[in-house]
Amino acid sequence: MTAPVDSTSGSTPAAGSADAQKPNSEARTGQPPPPTATPTSTTSKPAKAANGATKPPGKAKGGAVEGGEETLTGAELKKRAKAEKAARRAKEKLEREQAGGGGGGGGGDSAGAGGAGAAGTGQTAPPSAKKGGQAMGAKEAAAIGLQKGQKQAAPRRGSAQVVQQGGGVVEPKKKKEDKKVAVFGHLYGQQRRTTIAGAAKEVHPAVLALGLQMRDYVICGSNARCVATLLAFKRVIESYTTPLGTSLARHLTTHLSHQITYLSTCRPLSISQGNAIRALKLHISSVDPSVPEAAAKASLCDFIDSFIREKITVADQVIATSAAQKIQDGDVIVTFAGSSIVKQTLLTAYKQGKKFRVSIIDSRPLFEGKNLARVLAKAGLDVQYSLVHGISHAIKDATKVFLGAHAMTSNGRLYSRVGTALVAMSAKERAGGVEIPVIVCCETVKFTDRVALDSIVVNEIADADELVTAEPLAQVTGLMDKAASQPEASTTAKKGNNKPAAPSPLTESHAGMRSTASASPLKDWRDTPNLQLLNLMYDATPAEYVDMVVTEMGSLPPSAVPIVHRMSTNS
Amino acid sequence: MATAKDASAGSANKPFDIVATYNNLLRSDPDLTMPIAAIEALVLLLTHSPSSTISETLDLLEKSTADLKKAIPNPIGLSAGTDLFQRYLITTLQRPGQLGPAGDFNAIRAHLLSNGRLFIRRAKESRDKIATFGRGFVRDGSTVLTNGGSRVVASLLQHAAGEKGGPSAVRFRVIYVLSSAKGNLENHHAEPEGMETVRALRAAGVPVATIPESAVAYSLGKADVVIVGAEGVVENGGIVSRLGTYQIGLLAKAMGKPFYVVAESHKFVRLYPLGQYDLPIEQHVIDFKTDEDLTDEAHPSDCTDKAVLGEAVDFTPPHLISALITDSGVLTPSAVSEELIKIWF
Repeated sequence: MTAPVDSTSGSTPAAGSADAQKPNSEARTGQPPPPTATPTSTTSKPAKAANGATKPPGKAKGGAVEGGEETLTGAELKKRAKAEKAARRAKEKLEREQAGGGGGGGGGDSAGAGGAGAAGTGQTAPPSAKKGGQAMGAKEAAAIGLQKGQKQAAPRRGSAQVVQQGGGVVEPKKKKEDKKVAVFGHLYGQQRRTTIAGAAKEVHPAVLALGLQMRDYVICGSNARCVATLLAFKRVIESYTTPLGTSLARHLTTHLSHQITYLSTCRPLSISQGNAIRALKLHISSVDPSVPEAAAKASLCDFIDSFIREKITVADQVIATSAAQKIQDGDVIVTFAGSSIVKQTLLTAYKQGKKFRVSIIDSRPLFEGKNLARVLAKAGLDVQYSLVHGISHAIKDATKVFLGAHAMTSNGRLYSRVGTALVAMSAKERAGGVEIPVIVCCETVKFTDRVALDSIVVNEIADADELVTAEPLAQVTGLMDKAASQPEASTTAKKGNNKPAAPSPLTESHAGMRSTASASPLKDWRDTPNLQLLNLMYDATPAEYVDMVVTEMGSLPPSAVPIVHRMSTNS
Repeated sequence: MATAKDASAGSANKPFDIVATYNNLLRSDPDLTMPIAAIEALVLLLTHSPSSTISETLDLLEKSTADLKKAIPNPIGLSAGTDLFQRYLITTLQRPGQLGPAGDFNAIRAHLLSNGRLFIRRAKESRDKIATFGRGFVRDGSTVLTNGGSRVVASLLQHAAGEKGGPSAVRFRVIYVLSSAKGNLENHHAEPEGMETVRALRAAGVPVATIPESAVAYSLGKADVVIVGAEGVVENGGIVSRLGTYQIGLLAKAMGKPFYVVAESHKFVRLYPLGQYDLPIEQHVIDFKTDEDLTDEAHPSDCTDKAVLGEAVDFTPPHLISALITDSGVLTPSAVSEELIKIWF
């Protein structure tokens, strides 16, 4: 299944109630619920709300009809409602297909971000939502339902184009091409939230901000997201008061699940976030109801602090120390993108007086390696920076490969930033037959009991527009990295910034092109037929390409991941 | 044996010398493996030492372990024993109850010592256990290729051979790879490692062919299975073993012959080498020299080099190993880390 993260499906009893609540509250924010309260009308209520969003008269009529026919039997009512619904759906579809594609689609979708759209989803999506609900945790289903909802305010197939910033006016009759890459079609359900409009009212401001920061990659990386989430939740807990008539253990999990749902609509949760949330929820549900609220909250905050300290801060130190032992004088260390733990390892080794070079492989569109290059060069290490297409060159004189992880799956595969598998493969299948050891640094909090056979079933798809523009998308938060606008082929930096003194004529002409009206040849990719863009976030590296996983519990072969995971979750 | 001499000299003024004890133990009992000798030496140390608190005991243990490791040129096998003993001690001390932190220290000590001895006895018995497990890997009519002076391999093969002409005897042949590195140049009379096993097997009616290391690739076509011993089994399931094992592993893999390792589970070391040159020991196997260097150096260094080569080890990575036959069962290489984690956490 496409379940993004198993995280939130914690075994808390409150989860169910949270979901039950959710669609209602969404509907409320969007459209006032219809007045009738019979069982029949509840089934068709969301449909009406959705209809209302597109064509108000229909809704008014529907309400009147249902209000007038109270005398019919339940079964008859049900049948009729069903028929009505089917007819309405067909009609709606037809309308959408006609008005569809261009402006219509855009309008529908921007509404989708708001409450009305969410309500609409409630019923365009029911079949899929239900299906999902069986396979994945209840809460998760709600989250996905929500995401789906946003997107599926537009019809599902045919003109199912997801337009975010109105794609320009095209001939309305023309059927729009599906811009989803077919193999990854199941991953597009996770359309990211664009604004904080429509967020549930329970969502804490700290979480609201965090969501946007994660969406814009201001907070990026598995560890950073995990810590930031926990800290935000700490603030949520601090400002939380248990409503009358419930207990903290029961209500706080519900309250948190609103925050989690919101976060997961900004960006799918990482494995580490999921594990941390699961641990936190488990702890909350074990709070004794007789404990006074202040004490309970204090103990929860302590739990969060100690979780961060034990599972991440101290774990990182342990990993960095033990991984640094593997670095010897004269080594050439290749690393990919910007892993915080690899950075710490390299700095630790450097402080121990080891003499080695670092070759950073980076990739578009996030350029996480730039930051790493800057930090390492500033600290005094010899750094070489190149993009992933220079891998065969960079790997030639490498002696070791250090990789960070997003997660380690139970079959020993490394799930990490897209491109990692390529680097690992280059190291293991290097021409000349001499293998370079590939070392993964990973905290046990990133271990998961899920299994990944490929990068297709479970993955995250980011906005394809990130590939189009060289500059980062307009951000709601955070700083723009101007340097990020210039993808350089290969730059060697010695102590200092890694930018070349003068841009080559080629890049200059590129820059010129970019500054003209059409910034990039791909700018109009949504309207260009036969063109699809794919912006994946992660890939799975086969276990055979990983020699060693350094964790805070010691160094392991990838095959030992499930054992350690079992032990670290049991104890 | 310079270390032994130093140690015996030192034992005169010191009350207890761990290094000398270790070396004496190894010499006195040819059946003793390095980890067991280390554990036995530590148990003896505890009986001799007057330590009266837990932390004092642990301190003493740590210090002596470090001394021992420093004094022995290749402490990989040994460290398996010392680590295991230390771990055992700590878990015993942490356990609640009479023997826990609250209990009477003398009782704890007595318990430790008796259990330490029990452990040593069990470890010695494990060889028979392995032989029973491994018997099935030597089939009727098969040819086994082996090397080195491993006592476990010897006991397995002898077990398989059974009594001469007995009903349980497996009819098999052995190709024994004899190391040429040792004793070839200076002392011709010193027989290569493993000769003893060869004689014992021949006496039991098993046809044995001895070949030099250079003939492994040539002979492997005639062999059905490769069985080797190990000095230490490392965390990723690879083995640290006598120099020459790695190449046999590579050749066996290339020829598609199963490659089995026989090792007692107390040889599992908490060590994770990434390759040949990542072992925590200094080896001068590859020693580049020009004519000048040779003339500069006096003759004595030559003979020490030879001795070092005889003791040298290499690392056989896990992907070359089909299975490990241990006293806790027949394990795949990846199961080794599981066993180690079980011991350590």
